[in-house]
Amino acid sequence: MIENLLTYIIFTPLLGALVVLFLPQSKTSSFKWVALGALGVTLVLSVLAVTSFDASVEGLTNSEDQLQLVDKAKWFSVELGSLGKFSVDYFVGVDGLNLSLLLLAAIVLFIGAISSFGIKQKQKGYFGLYLLLSTSVLGCFVALDFFLFYLFFEFMLLPMYFLIGIWGGPRREYAAIKFFLYTLVGSILILIVMIGLYNSVYDPVKTGMEAGVIENVSEASPEVISNIQFAVQSGQIESENIVKSFNMISMADDANYLPDSFLGKNSYGEIFGQSARWMAFLALLIGFAIKLPAFPFHTWLPDAHVEAPTAVSVVLAGILLKIGGYGIIRTAFSFFPDSAFHYAWLIGFFGLFSILYGAMNALAQKDLKRLIAYSSVSHMGFVLLGLAAMTVEGVTGAIYQMFSHGLISSMLFLLVGVLYDRTHDRGIENYGGLASKMPKFTILITIAFFASLGLPGFSGFIAELMVFIGAFKSSTVIGAIPYWMPVVATLGLVLGAGYYLWTLQRMFFGKFWVKDKAWRETLVDLNAREYVMLIPLVILIIWFGIYPATLLDLINNSVEGFTQLLILSVE
Amino acid sequence: MMLLQSNMALGLKEQIQGISADIAWLAPEITLVITAVLLLIYDLIFKENKSVGLAAIAFVGMAFTLALLFSGWGNVGDGRTLMGGMIRLDGAAVYLKALFSIGGLIGLVMMLRSKKKEQFFKSSEMLLLFFGLVLGTFLMTMSINFLMVYVAIELVSICSYVLTGLFKSKRNSEAAMKYLLFGAVASAVMIYGMSWLYGFTGTLDFTSIAFAEGISRVAVFPLSLALIMTIGGFVFKLGAFPFHIWSPDVYEASPTPIVAIFSSLPKLAALAILFRFVASLDLALVDWQLWLGIIAIASMTVGNFSALWQKDVKRMLAYSSIAHAGFLLVGVLAFSESGATSALFYGSIYLLMNFGAFFLIQVFENKEGQTSFNSLRGMGTKLPYLGVLLLIVMISLTGLPPMAGFNAKLYIFSSLWESWQIMGSNILIWVFIFGLLNTAVSLFFYLKIPYYMFFKGREEVEIPVSGNLTDKILGTILVLPLLLLFFKSDWLLNVLNSINFAP
Repeated sequence: MIENLLTYIIFTPLLGALVVLFLPQSKTSSFKWVALGALGVTLVLSVLAVTSFDASVEGLTNSEDQLQLVDKAKWFSVELGSLGKFSVDYFVGVDGLNLSLLLLAAIVLFIGAISSFGIKQKQKGYFGLYLLLSTSVLGCFVALDFFLFYLFFEFMLLPMYFLIGIWGGPRREYAAIKFFLYTLVGSILILIVMIGLYNSVYDPVKTGMEAGVIENVSEASPEVISNIQFAVQSGQIESENIVKSFNMISMADDANYLPDSFLGKNSYGEIFGQSARWMAFLALLIGFAIKLPAFPFHTWLPDAHVEAPTAVSVVLAGILLKIGGYGIIRTAFSFFPDSAFHYAWLIGFFGLFSILYGAMNALAQKDLKRLIAYSSVSHMGFVLLGLAAMTVEGVTGAIYQMFSHGLISSMLFLLVGVLYDRTHDRGIENYGGLASKMPKFTILITIAFFASLGLPGFSGFIAELMVFIGAFKSSTVIGAIPYWMPVVATLGLVLGAGYYLWTLQRMFFGKFWVKDKAWRETLVDLNAREYVMLIPLVILIIWFGIYPATLLDLINNSVEGFTQLLILSVE
Repeated sequence: MMLLQSNMALGLKEQIQGISADIAWLAPEITLVITAVLLLIYDLIFKENKSVGLAAIAFVGMAFTLALLFSGWGNVGDGRTLMGGMIRLDGAAVYLKALFSIGGLIGLVMMLRSKKKEQFFKSSEMLLLFFGLVLGTFLMTMSINFLMVYVAIELVSICSYVLTGLFKSKRNSEAAMKYLLFGAVASAVMIYGMSWLYGFTGTLDFTSIAFAEGISRVAVFPLSLALIMTIGGFVFKLGAFPFHIWSPDVYEASPTPIVAIFSSLPKLAALAILFRFVASLDLALVDWQLWLGIIAIASMTVGNFSALWQKDVKRMLAYSSIAHAGFLLVGVLAFSESGATSALFYGSIYLLMNFGAFFLIQVFENKEGQTSFNSLRGMGTKLPYLGVLLLIVMISLTGLPPMAGFNAKLYIFSSLWESWQIMGSNILIWVFIFGLLNTAVSLFFYLKIPYYMFFKGREEVEIPVSGNLTDKILGTILVLPLLLLFFKSDWLLNVLNSINFAP
């Protein structure tokens, strides 16, 4: 195993970006190879991280013991006088909750880089920004210090803004600013909670060292830590020795909240007559739901997707949306499990509504890319429904759905890109009978459509099945969401089959017809570069559809630890 | 007057001895005065090609002031009251004065880099006023006596009025007139309020026990009225709502280096006065937190929303500076040690960002001759390096990571959160929520600059412009701290923690 593996994974693309920056403008053709090379290294390292991951480690997800590949170093700390001090760490690590998403990010970013080879103008800027985006996305998935997480989470917006705004379609400027503003509102809500949280949470190990209980980190056994926690809770440690912390793992443990803190489980205050914990939970939930996106915060997504260049759409749908889901798991649910239970019905309801509303919108679209964008809203609804169930199956299904949707939606957007490259038109009604002209393309898009609508044999089926099992079990196991929610959600599957099959029929079957005669020449079947992007995705989608244990075995223990935490908080 | 009364018992001789002993502590201020006098003499003696000599004197004087402040850094200790209770020299005052001299130096560099540098250096008038303004801000940071506050604020104001009107154009005259009228009214109101407070307490020293006792005996209504009038004068200098209307016109009309000075030094000096003043006000007596909270929310909201519609970059930055005045007030509102520290941090970062922004705007202004958003079209592709620097400053002004503007915002709102946890006052949480949500509004207009620079092309074909290496280096020097202080904000914070702001 390589030391500091995760650090290399995060910063290899940044190194690539610097190389791109310092290469002279004249070496136009080299930028894409630098990008591909850097992301190739990242992909190899990520696979290495997955293979070296020990799936047998058990434990609650609020203990640092179950984390693997941890890199932790002091970043900075500030004295606050009588209020103690606070410290920020460079802290990255993986467990079952983020491992699969790290792998997904590496795969999608690599394939996105291949698809970016079609970019012809301002290549230096494009690949530099793409690599910057890659670093912040990868960093976001493994960062376990809230400050670091927030850095990556916010920084992602800038390259994305420019990637959409400079290389996008006709309404790119509007789409770019809309995307930026929506997500920024979300991240401000997250920032508000972050300020409240780090003022409420202390780091037991560092506090122990500050108060002189222990000499160094290696002495911090679980007993010692719980002794320190007891000492803090009973007020035996002077307030100037308290070390406040951004540690996201510490934040998930009630014992790490200061006894008089506002967001502590036992001492919670009120904001506008509501429990502060509930409000904080809602702020985090909305913040990440905008990113996810869930109804009613989804309206930026179709615009951003339609205007973004293909590769950016792929990254957006394939990875960026998952940060929303992951954020809800890692922060909102982990920090405030009691509030999550309190609001489970609401989350489930909005999940359900997203499923149906997204699907019905997709049904009405005339633009193929918009259709797929709305299908993303619908599929992300399953993530919310699975999480709201608060059962092992539900949470597993949510994570599996994120992974599977990452692969499938990447493939869908790549396929739309293939069509758009040839005709610069995405209108569904402008095509007919493409199957006779582009048979191989039709085969692949049929696979992608079927995978997306949840046909058995593809990864999407496993994910949605798990979500449904989890949601049905929920009312008997934990009582988070009622029966009728998954029942109604099945409608989403029917609608999904509806819009995909209808699209297939309109665009691909029947007699060949296109709106513009000139397109007859340009519509040729897939080329080698497109095969290179698409075939691996097909293989992965089918592999994870017929052999889900590959992923399930990796994440199972952590998901159990996570749901254990939820159940403990309810009791 | 007050000085004489309280020290009557001491006898004149002791008083004069005390004052002359205190003079050594005012070496930086005296240096400023001497520099101004030297500038005047130089101007009288030499007739031709004065600009080099004048610039040299100004630079040396300002740099020497800064050096004096650095060398005197350690000697202040917990602070000392000087000049018979007129001013108080403490760590915060020295820190702010050092910050102002750095700002003054950057201002001078900007004047040199201006395309129309002749207008600054052809004779001594402009520089004289500039040094007067800096001196005024120095005195503002130290004043603890109403008379001293008034004199210092007037020194800054009068210099500002003349500086605005000095550059002959119709717009300048209009802006100077507006500024003068507003300023005169604000001063009059302030001194009227001060006279009430003097009447209530019989003392002009607002840090004294007599003052605290005096106001505690007054009924709430007259006291509130007097305090609001007095604070109104400070708010005028801070450039916050509702005394902000002069700033867009003044900013648009004045030359960019002067605007950079206007938008930072007097603001931070007014903040220092506010800190010293509210420290003497018991919250149980009057709810000044509510007033300042409303002013802060209104400044942020009005500033940000007005900035949305601007077509000129300098006007936009004027409105943004109104919003930032609101953010600076948050530190006062928190009313705690960490509030003061984080306000100083915010102020320092704000000063850096502002000078960075105006410096880079001036670089583009030199090329185009104007500062409208349209003139920035396509500049990002022509001058990518300078464009990226300006982008970084804008991101920092918005308060997004990885720039120091984010830390500034984080710390100032953290201190507000802490105070709210302790005090539980509703206005604090409103400021907290409004303040942070305002970030989303501000993003929209700050991003307009990169939007025009990178997204918008130009129709007409032009001679290609090239970036100047000196501009690039200077720009980098100004922008680099913004990045460094994000990654190692503890460097500055630990310095600030060693300062105490208690009067």
